[in-house]
Amino acid sequence: MMAENKYHLVTSIEAALSLAKQHVQSFKYIAGGTDVLVNRFQGNDESASLIDLSGIAILKEVHADTHFLKIGSLIRLDDLKKHEIIKEQFPALLKAANEVASPILRKTATLGGNILCENRCTYFNQSAWWRESVGYCLKCDGEVCIATGGTKACFSKFVSDTAPVLISMNAQLEIIDEKSLKIIPLESIYTGDGINPRNLSKTAIIKNIMLPLDNSFKVVFKKLRPREAVDFTSLTTAVSLVQNGKIKIVIGGIDPKPVIVEGMLDVSETLIQDAVKKARIVDNDYYSRAYRKEMMILYLKQSLEELNNK
Amino acid sequence: MKQIELNINGKQFHLLVEEHEMLSTVIREKAGLTGTKIGCEQGSCGACTVLVNNEPVLSCITPALKFDAANITTIEGLSQDGSLHKLQEKFVEKGAIQCGFCTPGMVMTALDFVNHNSNPTIDQIKEGLSGNLCRCTGYKKIIEAVAEYAKEVNGSQLTVHSLESANLKSVGVSRPYIEASKKVQGIADYTDDIKLKGALQVKFVRSIFPHAEIEWIDTDKAMKLEGVRYIATGKELPITFGVLPISQDENAIAIHKTRYIGEIVAAVAADTEAIALKACKLIEIKYNPIKQYLTIEDSLKDVGEHEKIHPEHGKQNNNVHKKAELRFGDQQQGLKDAEVVSKMDFTFEGVNHGFTEPHSASAFWDENGLTMISATQVSHYLHRALAKTMEVPLNRVRVIKPHVGGGFGGKGDPFPHEIIVAYIARKTGKPVHVRLSREEVFLTNHGRHPSQMTIQLGADNDGILKVLDADIAIDGGAYGSFGVVTSYYNGVLLQAPYKLNNFGFRTYRVYTNKPQCGAMRGHGAVNSRFAVESLIDDIAHKIKMDPVELRMKNFLDSNTLTVGQYRITSNGSRESIQKVAEQSNWKNKHAKMPSGHGFGVGCGFFISGSALPIFWNELPQSVVHLKVDFDGRVLVTSGANDIGQGSDTMLAIIVAEVLGIGMDHIFVIGADTLLTPVDLGSYSSRVTFMAGNAAKNAAENLRAEIATAISKSKNVPTDELNFLDGRVFSNDKSTDLSWMEAIEILTANRGAVSVSGKYISPKLGGDFKGAGAGLSPSYSFGACVAEVNVNEQTGHVKILNVWGAHDCGKALNPLAVEGQLEGSWHMGIGQAMSEEMRYYNGLLMNNNFLDYKIPTSLDTPDFHTNIIETNDPEGPFGAKECGEGALHPVIPAIANAIYDAVGIRITKLPIKSEDVLNLLKEK
Repeated sequence: MMAENKYHLVTSIEAALSLAKQHVQSFKYIAGGTDVLVNRFQGNDESASLIDLSGIAILKEVHADTHFLKIGSLIRLDDLKKHEIIKEQFPALLKAANEVASPILRKTATLGGNILCENRCTYFNQSAWWRESVGYCLKCDGEVCIATGGTKACFSKFVSDTAPVLISMNAQLEIIDEKSLKIIPLESIYTGDGINPRNLSKTAIIKNIMLPLDNSFKVVFKKLRPREAVDFTSLTTAVSLVQNGKIKIVIGGIDPKPVIVEGMLDVSETLIQDAVKKARIVDNDYYSRAYRKEMMILYLKQSLEELNNK
Repeated sequence: MKQIELNINGKQFHLLVEEHEMLSTVIREKAGLTGTKIGCEQGSCGACTVLVNNEPVLSCITPALKFDAANITTIEGLSQDGSLHKLQEKFVEKGAIQCGFCTPGMVMTALDFVNHNSNPTIDQIKEGLSGNLCRCTGYKKIIEAVAEYAKEVNGSQLTVHSLESANLKSVGVSRPYIEASKKVQGIADYTDDIKLKGALQVKFVRSIFPHAEIEWIDTDKAMKLEGVRYIATGKELPITFGVLPISQDENAIAIHKTRYIGEIVAAVAADTEAIALKACKLIEIKYNPIKQYLTIEDSLKDVGEHEKIHPEHGKQNNNVHKKAELRFGDQQQGLKDAEVVSKMDFTFEGVNHGFTEPHSASAFWDENGLTMISATQVSHYLHRALAKTMEVPLNRVRVIKPHVGGGFGGKGDPFPHEIIVAYIARKTGKPVHVRLSREEVFLTNHGRHPSQMTIQLGADNDGILKVLDADIAIDGGAYGSFGVVTSYYNGVLLQAPYKLNNFGFRTYRVYTNKPQCGAMRGHGAVNSRFAVESLIDDIAHKIKMDPVELRMKNFLDSNTLTVGQYRITSNGSRESIQKVAEQSNWKNKHAKMPSGHGFGVGCGFFISGSALPIFWNELPQSVVHLKVDFDGRVLVTSGANDIGQGSDTMLAIIVAEVLGIGMDHIFVIGADTLLTPVDLGSYSSRVTFMAGNAAKNAAENLRAEIATAISKSKNVPTDELNFLDGRVFSNDKSTDLSWMEAIEILTANRGAVSVSGKYISPKLGGDFKGAGAGLSPSYSFGACVAEVNVNEQTGHVKILNVWGAHDCGKALNPLAVEGQLEGSWHMGIGQAMSEEMRYYNGLLMNNNFLDYKIPTSLDTPDFHTNIIETNDPEGPFGAKECGEGALHPVIPAIANAIYDAVGIRITKLPIKSEDVLNLLKEK
């Protein structure tokens, strides 16, 4: 029997975890909901219970301790700019956040929600009727990937714009689950499997996004999209440089997970080649595979040059 | 269900809501506040924006339960004590409202934006509004309204500009639409806002195959679902329909086979939308797919009889729907005479109207027969189609058009959903309502045809055009729609604005298994105009002549005939191009900028109303009735459909002008086929010219009636009576009456007086076959200059400025004319840069406002708007069209600017960065 639809607005992490356990068969957390609710509208999410975390005040705090800036996962993208410390020390995060969707969506969408944004594909983000017409793809329990014609892997794109910047600055996540609180690198939650793109346990909640305060990063962020607002990314690059000449390249919008390449600034050509090798770009976007690949190389070159000149 | 408490606009509501119900539905359906609009249902268009606890929220993707006990402000809550909010006032005053459907969301977003940005720059305003789509205005007037409001909040002095013209008191004065205040408050009713008691809700089952026989349909399970009241299938509606008498090739519901993915195969009427939707999923259908035709090439090939998309159509064994060909002069000779010839192949993707209000319709039957309330731009053809398909006399059908949230040609045909709700309403005896989802709107389509063409243009070395030859193929999709007209327009509308003695074209329109194409703003000629303006630019480059100068040498004169015998009356081509060249500093900019930066020019022209009706008959093209009673108010009734372009206001202006009275004495009822006389509707840019002339004629008749009555009563000759400033007076002022005194004399012993006025197009054109295509009593002309930056590393094109000028004869309402021009340019920019209907095996891939890329405020350049007035001899007060023609020049101007910037010739729309980059590499 189908579970009855339920909506729970919780005010504490404990309540959320308890409800999650209770409805573990069919539930979804929502923060701003701007991603989940559209997926629900299209029939790509049919969870019976929605557990709305937006009433949990503790998840909306920003504070710094000795080593980390801790940004509560429910901070809305539009609110990041209200925090001087983010403006001063992590301007690239603001830049990335300001290029997500549209101003009005950023007043609802949260930072935590953005880094957990569901992977996207031209053949997946469609109505139930549409997906039936095309023949269901791998990501919606079908047998074949429509984008590639293959049967083994789903290449839905990882589309968060803030995550690449955060990863480039070695962000970590503080994650609470029923029994544990753990701190893990942000990049470690992405699996690279387009069907199950994140490895967080279903009931886990991101408490804080933690940015190290003892490193001084220079970051160049770039995003490719057809229009200057509203659109999801077709390619996001974030390239960071720390004082010792260490480079971290993080690329979104082209692969089921953020593509990460690290190395030294003086071998930047090699780094770009490594990124090209790693990126599994397929034709599942407004722009062609070839163009996105070409732009990826260009953006990386430009970013590295900019960092070199900084 | 849960009970929630919402304070909406200061009023406490206790409402039962479903667990996952969206706030937009609760506000609209449960609190009854229909000012909040639903345009896309997925947070991409902003029409549903409301303030929750003073923060803007997209209510269509917000669960209502999230905001239990919240304070909500909707558009209806902004005005206080009978006065508009200052921001609303600015929207009205600046002409920021056209169809009004995006307005509520736009106002709420803008209000929040100014609250947080008290002194914004124009760029900041563009950014702030970039999540709210508008399809009518090109954003310019919205941005102006927000900027002025912000200034006013800051306490700065504002300059109030008045556009009073010298002799005329109503005509030529910029004014908001008469219904603008209603729209800005969210209290103007659109079809889906009108709730009929006990109405059933309809949802459709749509084909998942592009071309398939329907073997059987099993509705048993669905019918058993509680709340399901009727399920209709195709065989119940066997009578075909279509907007053109020669293309009655569509059934409301597919009968034996489906012809595109998305075609309606069954319709469920139930107590609620949710039940209807659930029932749709229980209907089982057995399809046998047959060979599909998805491209022009495939449809031109010979096929077996059983494989034809329309086996009943034509004798040929292919899927060609229409072949049109006309030739004038001698093209072979023209080619010989030409010293330089440019020939290119062009490809255009299909584009969609993208109006913000999804289709919606309600129907009920009573002792008066059928009443249909629908978002239609052509009530008259819907009236005819309903009478035909319902098999009732014309006098048993009434079509009412409420406010319409944009059309652009996409609400001009009679539609299956309208016929289906009419039918189910009769079968069930209940009112029946349907509203399409945005996905269904895209599948319904009727947008611009995907096209391929090869065109050659020849000139001599002095730049005089010698020959134009066009070979065109257009992809019509599954049904005819306006396609026969589109086929002709692609060719015939190339015979101006330049003088061409040797001109010919051939067009094929093919059926394919895709959603049908039809008429869209600039109908038929946008793509071929792009091609010709590109070729002219190429020739100018080849003979090293300034493209403005080359065009100046070739423009047709005023009061002349084209080679195909179009009668050109007023012609502002030269004034238009001179204006934009001067304003853009063309002489010092074109071909003089550094690489990557360029200026381009394009021109265009368009019909000002089709001179021939679609249904051959002797009726006038437009009739307007006026009634004046003891209270002095003049009631204007007209069948013309105001769909946001301001035609009701236009009628009021004309009547006020003729009678010399203020606009507050005028009341307009538009497009209700029971109350209003026939007008052929809002297509082919005909309303200002035709309904405007009919209104003028009616007002003159009323003036004559009044003059006669006064003449008798006061013993003054009628020709000595003047109607001005609300008074009727004789030349020597011996008789000097107020309007009310004049009306008292008119109505004495007689009562209310009704008069009629009409417009009938003069006999025009040649006597050859096809001579009627594109005939119009007048034509509009225009030009654009575009300035672009091309990033040579990414291929990205940024449009910086558009200078546009359009000859509208006479701007009856300059504010509205500017709005039409800016909206046209915005739509052209969409087709130029980002809009396209993309298909995967016949399945439309981008059927939503996230993936179908209408330019946002940030993607829209600054428009420099110029109205050119040439006073057309037959237009009402000299006016002609301004709603479509302005779209033509902007697209080639952009492409030609790209050529100027980086030396590549664009032959494919939309202009994608990757194509630009590839062309740069090939250079």
